[in-house]
Amino acid sequence: MAQPKKIFSRRRVCRFCTDKDVTIDYKDPKTLRNFVTERGKIIPRRIYGTCAKHQRQLTEAVKRARQLALLPYMGPTQF
Amino acid sequence: MRHYETTYILRPNLGEEQFTEIIERTNNIISSDGGSVICLDRWGIKRLAYEIKKEVQGYYVYLNYAAPGKTVDEIERIFKIDDRMLRFLTIKLGDSMNAEAIEAEKQRIEEKAAALASAESEDTEDEEFDDESSEDESTED
Repeated sequence: MAQPKKIFSRRRVCRFCTDKDVTIDYKDPKTLRNFVTERGKIIPRRIYGTCAKHQRQLTEAVKRARQLALLPYMGPTQF
Repeated sequence: MRHYETTYILRPNLGEEQFTEIIERTNNIISSDGGSVICLDRWGIKRLAYEIKKEVQGYYVYLNYAAPGKTVDEIERIFKIDDRMLRFLTIKLGDSMNAEAIEAEKQRIEEKAAALASAESEDTEDEEFDDESSEDESTED
């Protein structure tokens, strides 16, 4: 009420565009873990600011990793 | 010839002998069709993110190869029959592949492996990103 809630103008740049070291690979669940929630959902790009191109590659990679049981389709339901 | 990569998961309780047998058989299919194996990587026994056929662990094998399309059909047909196989995934990496490209690919993989080995010692810096993400979620909506 007093002040608008959304004032965060933080990192609005794509992490993959700025940091060339981070590659999107379905065989690398460690990196992909950063881009899914605890429940295993893919984090939307309006939150991370990933660019469209990389978000597409990311979704593809996450889905492949899920098929190979490297990432869960659904994470733990209670924590 | 096309460039493919296949990752497959075997039941973990088979023993080293059967792992080798299955891997050999797969490689033989590729070479008998005139393809060539570029890289074979045994990731070993890993924990599965969810149960597959009542198994909680699996033996991962990664295979990078150049072969004609019908080889993939044949490999997958055999994988489907074999019930020691838990899961497999084939990805096409490139449309055409000649001897030169195979050599280049081999070299690239070697370089990558060397880079990875040197980087492994100075790892563990991914953590800080993790907890930020959960905070982000709560601010949304």
